Amino acid sequence: MTEHIVSSFDTDLKELGRSVVEMGGQSERLVADSVHALVKRDTELAQKVIVLDGPVDLLQREIEEKAVLIIARRQPLAGDLREIVAAMRIANDLERIGDLAKNTAKRVLALTGEFHPQKLVRGVEHMSNIVLEQLKVVLDAYATRDEARALEVWQRDGEVDVLYTSLFRELLTYMMEDPRNISLCTHLLFCAKNIERIGDHATNIAETIHYLVTGQLLTEERPKQDTSSLTSVAFPA
Amino acid sequence: MNFAPETSIDIASAVNRATAPSAESKLKVEKLNFYYGDNHALKNINFDIPEKRVTAMIGPSGCGKSTLLRIFNRMYQLYPGQRAEGKILFDGADLLSKDLDSTVVRSRIGMVFQKPTPFPMSIYDNIAFGVKLHERLSKAQMDERVEWCLRKAAIWEETKDRLHTSALGMSGGQQQRLCIARTIAVRPEVILLDEPTSALDPISTSKIEDLIDELKQEFTIVIVTHNMQQAARCADITSFFYLGELIEVAASNEIFTNPREARTRDYITGRFG
Repeated sequence: MTEHIVSSFDTDLKELGRSVVEMGGQSERLVADSVHALVKRDTELAQKVIVLDGPVDLLQREIEEKAVLIIARRQPLAGDLREIVAAMRIANDLERIGDLAKNTAKRVLALTGEFHPQKLVRGVEHMSNIVLEQLKVVLDAYATRDEARALEVWQRDGEVDVLYTSLFRELLTYMMEDPRNISLCTHLLFCAKNIERIGDHATNIAETIHYLVTGQLLTEERPKQDTSSLTSVAFPA
Repeated sequence: MNFAPETSIDIASAVNRATAPSAESKLKVEKLNFYYGDNHALKNINFDIPEKRVTAMIGPSGCGKSTLLRIFNRMYQLYPGQRAEGKILFDGADLLSKDLDSTVVRSRIGMVFQKPTPFPMSIYDNIAFGVKLHERLSKAQMDERVEWCLRKAAIWEETKDRLHTSALGMSGGQQQRLCIARTIAVRPEVILLDEPTSALDPISTSKIEDLIDELKQEFTIVIVTHNMQQAARCADITSFFYLGELIEVAASNEIFTNPREARTRDYITGRFG
């Protein structure tokens, strides 16, 4: 797109976009580290995640302040307006993603010393690999304003939901098998839920990118396959 | 830049969306071309202006929007060498045809200019002057008319105790609202506003915008403005003109968030040049 007649407007918008990309990188890192800490039972890394969520929250506030200032000073319209609305929305999603990663890290600390069979953790790890990929693609799609890639992310979230539902069943079963699993499995279930929510935020970001690029809201229902709320496992008689 | 010879815009659907349920067009511009001598100032304009709605015309200086406004009011006929081709249907009658009396046209299609233009006479007479050209009213009826239009223009409270003092003693914003009152006084159907607030402070501007909102209940309003935010705030429909062409017409809600044409987008986001 051609540049604004007032060149400082371009500078403002570029800075805003850069902050969002930076915040995206930081949130992505937090998610990866939190999962790594969970799998490797690395409490030091978990501590780091908890501390590093602070700067992400700070960035979100900065982005919001910048965006409000641009609206007040420039009265943006059309694509410029969407650019600013998108930055604010994405920053909100990224801030929530950071919080969810932090929550996972806290659970890693709670699990110290617990009985920790690797096969239980494996499912969570697999699910987080997909979510991390989703997050990476959607952040790239933002950086390149690639609406088609954003839409792929949006459509692929169903896969995460399916995994989450099956993990839910699996963890319930382990709990029934051996009460010693309950503490671990409950925490793992929350971690899995955190990761599934991160996937949802990634699709929110995809919707925002669609709006940013096309000016249209994605109004059709997203393919949802998380049926865990309706799932129960019968206790073996 | 690529300039299509014909502006093929889905005007009807844009207008319908913005004006539902009533989408009657008050002015219908068909294949309008306008010339200042050799200068082809408006090129094949097709444009519907819906009744009892606010339609904004935006575009850079010299794009033809004020020219179009002046054609609606037949002001161009005052100048030799200016000519219009095509049709402008006003309730079915062609505004460009010589059969229509300009004085009658101007009483049905009123105009307010960029700079307030009160006559050097009292506030009361500023209004009565135009009314007397068209109607014979008793003193009581005239008093009533003056009060009615001053109230409509939201300036009655400020003027009721000084109706017989000179209009030139009023502030710029008050003078502009007086000019709007004067335009309404002859009970036109269409009000043309040519940058009505460009010389006013923000408070007077707000009062006039509030007034526009009020007036659209009864009148069809066409406003030319250089203030994009004003068009976004006041207008139901916005049209963008560039170099004598109508580039895009759409509901204001759409044109200011998601314009279809690249030229519209560049203009409203300040990227032209």
